[in-house]
Amino acid sequence: MSEAGEHSTTPVTLVDPIDISTLDPHFRNEIRSMPNGDDLYACFACTTCTAACPIACQWTYKPHQLIRMILLGMRNEVLSSKEIWECLTCFQCQERCPQGVRVTDIIFDCKNLAAEEGLVPENILGLGRQLLESGQLYQVTADWEREDLGLEPEVPGLDPEPMKAILHGTRTGRLVGGGD
Amino acid sequence: MPTYNLYMGCSVPANYPNYEISMLKVAEALGIDLVYMEGVGCCGSPNLRAIDYFGWLLVNARTLAIAEKSGHDVVTPCNGCFGSLKDVHHFLLHNSEYRTRVNEELNSEGLEFTGRVRPRHFIEVLYTDIGIDAIREKVTRPLDGVGIAIHYGCHLLRPADVTEFDPAILDELVRVTGATVVEYPLWKQCCGATVLPVNEALAVRLARDKLKSIKEAGASFITVVCPACGNQLDLQQLGLKTSYGEVYDLPVLLYPQILALAMGMSEDEIGLEMNRVPAQPILEHLTG
Amino acid sequence: MVGPVLIVGAGVAGMTAAVELADAGVHTVLVERLSTVGGNALRLYKAFPTDDCFFCFEGNRWRPGIRKCFYRSALTDQPNIDLRVNTTVVDISGTPGSFTVRLRTEPTYVDPKKCILCGLCTTRSEAFKLSSPQCQPQTVSVDPTLLDDEARRVASECPTHAIDLDATPSEDTLVVSDIVIATGYHEFKPQGVQEYGYGEHPNIITQLELAEMLDPTGPSGGVLLRPSDGAPVERVMMVQCVGSRSVDHFPFCSKICCVFALKHANIIAQEHNGIRVDVVYMDIRTYDRHERYYRMARRAGVGFIRGRVSRVVPRDDGRLDVVIYDSLLDQYLQYEVDLFVLSSALEPSEGTAALISQLGLQDRSGFVAPVEDGSVDGVMAGDHVFVCGTALGPAEVPESVTQARAVVSRILQGGV
Ligand SMILES: Cc1cc2nc3c(=O)[nH]c(=O)nc-3n(C[C@H](O)[C@H](O)[C@H](O)COP(=O)(O)OP(=O)(O)OC[C@H]3O[C@@H](n4cnc5c(N)ncnc54)[C@H](O)[C@@H]3O)c2cc1C
Ligand code: SF4
Ligand code: SF4
Ligand code: SF4
Ligand code: SF4
Repeated sequence: MSEAGEHSTTPVTLVDPIDISTLDPHFRNEIRSMPNGDDLYACFACTTCTAACPIACQWTYKPHQLIRMILLGMRNEVLSSKEIWECLTCFQCQERCPQGVRVTDIIFDCKNLAAEEGLVPENILGLGRQLLESGQLYQVTADWEREDLGLEPEVPGLDPEPMKAILHGTRTGRLVGGGD
Repeated sequence: MPTYNLYMGCSVPANYPNYEISMLKVAEALGIDLVYMEGVGCCGSPNLRAIDYFGWLLVNARTLAIAEKSGHDVVTPCNGCFGSLKDVHHFLLHNSEYRTRVNEELNSEGLEFTGRVRPRHFIEVLYTDIGIDAIREKVTRPLDGVGIAIHYGCHLLRPADVTEFDPAILDELVRVTGATVVEYPLWKQCCGATVLPVNEALAVRLARDKLKSIKEAGASFITVVCPACGNQLDLQQLGLKTSYGEVYDLPVLLYPQILALAMGMSEDEIGLEMNRVPAQPILEHLTG
Repeated sequence: MVGPVLIVGAGVAGMTAAVELADAGVHTVLVERLSTVGGNALRLYKAFPTDDCFFCFEGNRWRPGIRKCFYRSALTDQPNIDLRVNTTVVDISGTPGSFTVRLRTEPTYVDPKKCILCGLCTTRSEAFKLSSPQCQPQTVSVDPTLLDDEARRVASECPTHAIDLDATPSEDTLVVSDIVIATGYHEFKPQGVQEYGYGEHPNIITQLELAEMLDPTGPSGGVLLRPSDGAPVERVMMVQCVGSRSVDHFPFCSKICCVFALKHANIIAQEHNGIRVDVVYMDIRTYDRHERYYRMARRAGVGFIRGRVSRVVPRDDGRLDVVIYDSLLDQYLQYEVDLFVLSSALEPSEGTAALISQLGLQDRSGFVAPVEDGSVDGVMAGDHVFVCGTALGPAEVPESVTQARAVVSRILQGGV
């Protein structure tokens, strides 16, 4: 206030705040409408999730900050963060959240939104491609090992085709091409 | 004889046939009828869930719907598959909107998800349906107090409201073999396997933390119930030897291998030589 | 022999003590500085913890009935209560058990027993007004500084001859056995806290001022309008701990400001469609059962920013630019707001210090302190001197009532 009085021009300052009006106020509702996202609102920033997380110490955006950023509407920052992809999906944060916020599930929701915008790390995209093309993440290559143990060389009942068909029709197909 | 739909997923048959065979042998000895499911494949893993939630729902709902045809519960030895199936089962049971959408898709194959068969982890079947007493009767070569550290794996334990798995189950299953359970501080912590595709260095450090904690607690070996955890804790020990110059010498055994040994089966039968960190030295000592 | 008992302050606490003592057969003299009883609660709209409306009327707006919960009918009907409004304590002498008190009563000019609230005077002259639809005694109050010729004319036309503009102050001396201090609190006007600019811009207000704006019987009929230009409010920002928890102002936590701020935030979020509310806080202290207001507010979409205000800059369009340091993100955020509401500290009311010294009591940050070896109820301030409600420090209504009842039980047991 005191700045305003005498120097009525824009205050001279080094602080360069984030202008809230440039953020996306719908982001929180977008997440709340996604699987297990509804309890997002309950977060009271206690930071338990970050305390529980084994790798947050490595992160610029800690789990509680990601949740805070969602609530504030920092959609671009969250969806383009490396953190959502490094998340181990270990559910420690979610398990300990005292407000029932499904933190890990929400991070999954963020990854899905990021994927919708094509923001997927190359190696993860590669796994998507592999699922689309071969219908499985791992294929039996050393069937002699199986035979040595008395197992059938081919996995009984295995059929990778249905998965390929399914993923051609869903986002994976759109993401890695080959979809229609 | 209880019968189950056996869902192998892709990782166990491709990377851990020793897990597969030891599970089958143990099951057979305990009178569990595991029938390989027909026409199913990979669960997609958390990676699919991350980029394509609906695709992941469909793939796993389809597996559960196929199982519904015979009505037997779905049994899997893999935490990844267990986590995916449990999560999808739980989610679709509680979300009718998605259930309808999923069933519209499954309909083309004449399938429907109703949620009436449960996805279960093989060890939970051992504990609940066979029981510790029945297992104890089959233990002929007890592991004589050897210290075993359990790595349960994230997707077996959490989220608890979804997985409904009590870690004490695995403790008891280890104890019934005559081994002791070695407690260590980082027992809940992730092995790091999931972050391998995006940050390998971080994955290595997580495995290292875990191994250190186990080693310091004085365990002789580690047991796991998941191919991904097994791979991570076993393989990274080789890497850590070169990258950090650290030697842990902690053999990583899949739980059915331990039970099989206690039940008197031979190392060859359960493919023990496929485990990267050699397990023989301890076992030789044990069987003396 | 117990009684008469002097009760100073007719807020929730004083009224409760008066009614319950009177009902037990003890003569009480209830002294209130203002022209109406009710104290601060008179200016509140909905009340935590029940969310009931503070204004539980019977009848219509102009002739509202009695707010049952505060026993107001009893205050005028119960023969054991001697209610004296516009009255203060001048001095106290004597000994515990037999105090001599001198009271001074300013004229009220209107006889409540005669006034029928016809509305004649209030529509014709600014000098007459109904201080609150819930005021008690239910009558018109007079602002002597506005008395002009028209006012005098109006006075003479009062159909029931209720108005006497020649009334003069009076003094009275009484002997009482016990004294109950129920002088309550005053909301700190934070002129002195520079960074918030209170008093420098009309759209910067306090929570009590907001309570009046939210009040459906208030001047704007409960619609939120910018004081500067009457434009509808679209964004509200609240700041917690203004003056409280500061060695420069009040070292204590005012305890209920988090709860009433969130009460207001919820009312806005639920009853005023589309208005965005954000709360800047350092801790949210919604103690015990009031935690639910906090969760409710989050569910309603109220924004919470842990941090402090860097600066408030008025804009040409009537809004304020507020820059906040968000300590959770370690980022500065800039908001545009229409209404900037300060959750200001609760300080002891004026005159409390005088009572403390007249009676030789102990003070605790300016509030009346209970004696150390008093009982666990903590309502004894001295020999035959009791204290209840917010005169003890910030408290909610239920707590004030409980303390008042503890005082009553102590007095009935012989004042020890
Ligand atoms: C914005 C706001 C919202 C609130 N919302 C709620 C709520 O929702 N629920 C809730 O339970 N509580 C709420 N409170 C708290 C509530 O106002 C108090 O708990 C309650 O009013 C306290 O009553 P009291 O009798 O102790 O004091 P007061 O209400 O302060 O009454 C004291 C009385 O004493 C008189 N007086 C003072 N000094 C003298 C003197 N020297 N001589 C004669 N008379 C004197 C005053 O004029 C006044 O009438 C809120 C408070 C604020 C500021
Ligand atoms: S633990 Fe839950 S409430 Fe606490 S900061 Fe994390 S998400 Fe928010
Ligand atoms: S699930 Fe992700 S964010 Fe949560 S604790 Fe594990 S690594 Fe951290
Ligand atoms: S004119 Fe007389 S009766 Fe009518 S409101 Fe005024 S004081 Fe009361
Ligand atoms: S109740 Fe809340 S706003 Fe009031 S002083 Fe305490 S912490 Fe600050």
